[in-house]
Formats: sequence, structure tokens, C-alpha cells
Amino acid sequence: MKRFDCLKALAAVAQDALIVSSAGATTLEWNGIRPGDGNFRVRTLGLCSSIALGMALGLPHRRVVALDGDGSLLMNLCSLPTIARMKPKNLLHVLFDNEVYEASGSKKTATAAGTDLVGVARAAGIEKARWAKSVEEFAQTVAEGMKSDGPHFIGAKVTTARTEVPPYPLDEVENKYRFIRHVEKTENIKIFQTNLPASYK
Amino acid sequence: MNEESAAQTIVNGLKAAGIDFIATLPDINLARLLDEIEQDAAVTHVPLCREEEGIGICAGAYLVGRKCAALMQNGGFFNSNNAIVSTLLQYQIPLLLLIYYAGDIGDRTFATSGAMTEPVLRALGIRYYVMRQAGEAAEVIKRAQVLAEDSKRPVALLLTKEVLGLRSELASL
Repeated sequence: MKRFDCLKALAAVAQDALIVSSAGATTLEWNGIRPGDGNFRVRTLGLCSSIALGMALGLPHRRVVALDGDGSLLMNLCSLPTIARMKPKNLLHVLFDNEVYEASGSKKTATAAGTDLVGVARAAGIEKARWAKSVEEFAQTVAEGMKSDGPHFIGAKVTTARTEVPPYPLDEVENKYRFIRHVEKTENIKIFQTNLPASYK
Repeated sequence: MNEESAAQTIVNGLKAAGIDFIATLPDINLARLLDEIEQDAAVTHVPLCREEEGIGICAGAYLVGRKCAALMQNGGFFNSNNAIVSTLLQYQIPLLLLIYYAGDIGDRTFATSGAMTEPVLRALGIRYYVMRQAGEAAEVIKRAQVLAEDSKRPVALLLTKEVLGLRSELASL
């Protein structure tokens, strides 16, 4: 299964969901398929699931999707019991498991030696955790995950095949500002506060 | 001030500063404060398994408009350093860090952690304030949150036993 095909299936049902992606090829491929200010690229290995959880808890009526990798999730396994404990209905956690640290020289991760991250998620208390074994099954599972109450955890074993994509167009700070402006606009809320100079008071 | 009123003062200070989202990991000296946070229906409380995930959770909540604080022991601050550097500082995301100051002068445990806390904060360029008077807690929290929001950086408040109502303030002796 190719990650790129799975991402295309997700794009077909993503609508206005906020998308948080682990740095590396997943972010680049997603940006190639659905560029936009509602995408947030994570730079700290491991934090993808936690940043997505924070968004889901902070804005409970908006769908949030985490695009995680096996190396990333293995570094922050404790995000799974925290998600299970907080039970965000609006969180869809997608795991692309290619069994290597793809952005770090493709050395094998623990999933290559048999660790089952869907099993870990389920044991942590996330009931709706399952593997999607084909692109069709993935498409069907994410479509269902976008509509029904979560938290959802969907694992997909993917190859290391890459697709030609453009570079990510934003640095971290611009990504932040554009993302927050996007949330302000689509939620009709004000996040950044500014004050008049003291001489105006 | 006793432990219970100290905890109430801090939580009221956080709420007055607009903070309504708090990620926490326990320390025995924070127990009463954690009770106070847990019982407050107006606050989204996220109990953590490890402090570093809390930095990510608070960053995510900030990005969708929430005002956040992370409460932990200084050991947890050390655990969180990569997330603080490559998420909070790299993206310029504000966050109030409430750090219990284990190994503070007079403590019998964690002297090494106590010795490293302020130097590490300084090395990261994080502005901080050592809170020693319970009476000033609410105003210090308000000012620290203004600094965090305006500088778009984390700001740390070091919580001593005095400010948590666990030991007499030096000035009162």
C-alpha cells in the first residue's frame, strides 16, 4: 500500500478538518495533495499526536486529523493513554507504519521487529483502533472516522515508496500565523490580541 | 497562607489571566493545587503521562485559540526540553510553565535538579520568576501571561513551598 494513495483517499473526505502532520514525506505528500492554511507541520519527533490532541480538546466541535508515523508515535507512546483518557470525539489519529525512520536514513523501527501499534493503541484504551489492510479499506475507514464519534485510530502498513512532490512552502512561524488566521476566519473567533498604544488611552 | 488558600489563589490567578486549559503531572507538593484544578469545571484539565506531551497538547490548544498553562516539577521541565525548543521556541508559541522548584534552598531532596533549573531556563532564553510570596501569586501570574503572549515565548514561574502554602515565607520569620 502506498501512503500517497491513502492520503488521496483522506483528501476526498477531509472537508474542513484541521490536519496535523509529522514532519517528513507525509507532510510533503499531503501538502502536494491538499495545500492550505488548515495544515500544520510538526517538527518535534513524537509530538504530532499530542498537538492534534490539544487542538481537538481546544476546539471540540471541529474535526482534527493527525497524520503520524511509526517512528514518531514510538517516541511518544504515552500520548495514546492520554488520548484514551481524554476521549476526544473529534480526533482521527492516522498511523502510516513503514517500519523505518524514513526521514532519518531509513533505519528500522521497533515495528519492523513486530511491535503492533494498533494493538498498543487498543490496549491503551482506544476502542476504535484498527488496521486498514488495503487502500479501499483505508478509504472506507477514514470516511467512517470523519463522520462518527472518536477517538479513532487507523493504522496502515505502507511501503517506503515516495511520490514526487513540491517542497513545503512555509517556515514554522509563517505556518503558525497562517494556521491561526485560518482558525480565526473559519471559526469566526479572535485569537491574536493587540492593544492600542498607551497614548490613545 | 495555608495550602488550601494558596492553591485557590493560584487557580483564581490563572483564571483571571484568561487561562482555561491546564496540562499537569503530579508532584506531592502540587497535590492540593491539582485538586483545585481538577474540581474547576471552567478549566479544561489534561492529566499527562509525561510532561513533554503536555507541551505539544498546550501548543495545539493555543493554535486553536485557548490560553494554556503546563504544571509540572522541574524534573518534568527537563523532560520537556526538546519540545520547548523545537516546538514552542521554533514556532514562537507562548506558554505559561508552572514549575515546582524541587531542590530549592532548604529542601532535602533533588538538590542537583534545583541547581540546574535556573541555568537551563537561562540557557533557553526563557524569562522566569521565582515565586516566594503567596500574596503576590495572582498578580505575578497575570503579568507573566502578558509577557508570554506579547513575546510569543514560554515564560516560567518557579513555584516554591512558600507560594504553595507549605512553608513560612522568609519575611514572616
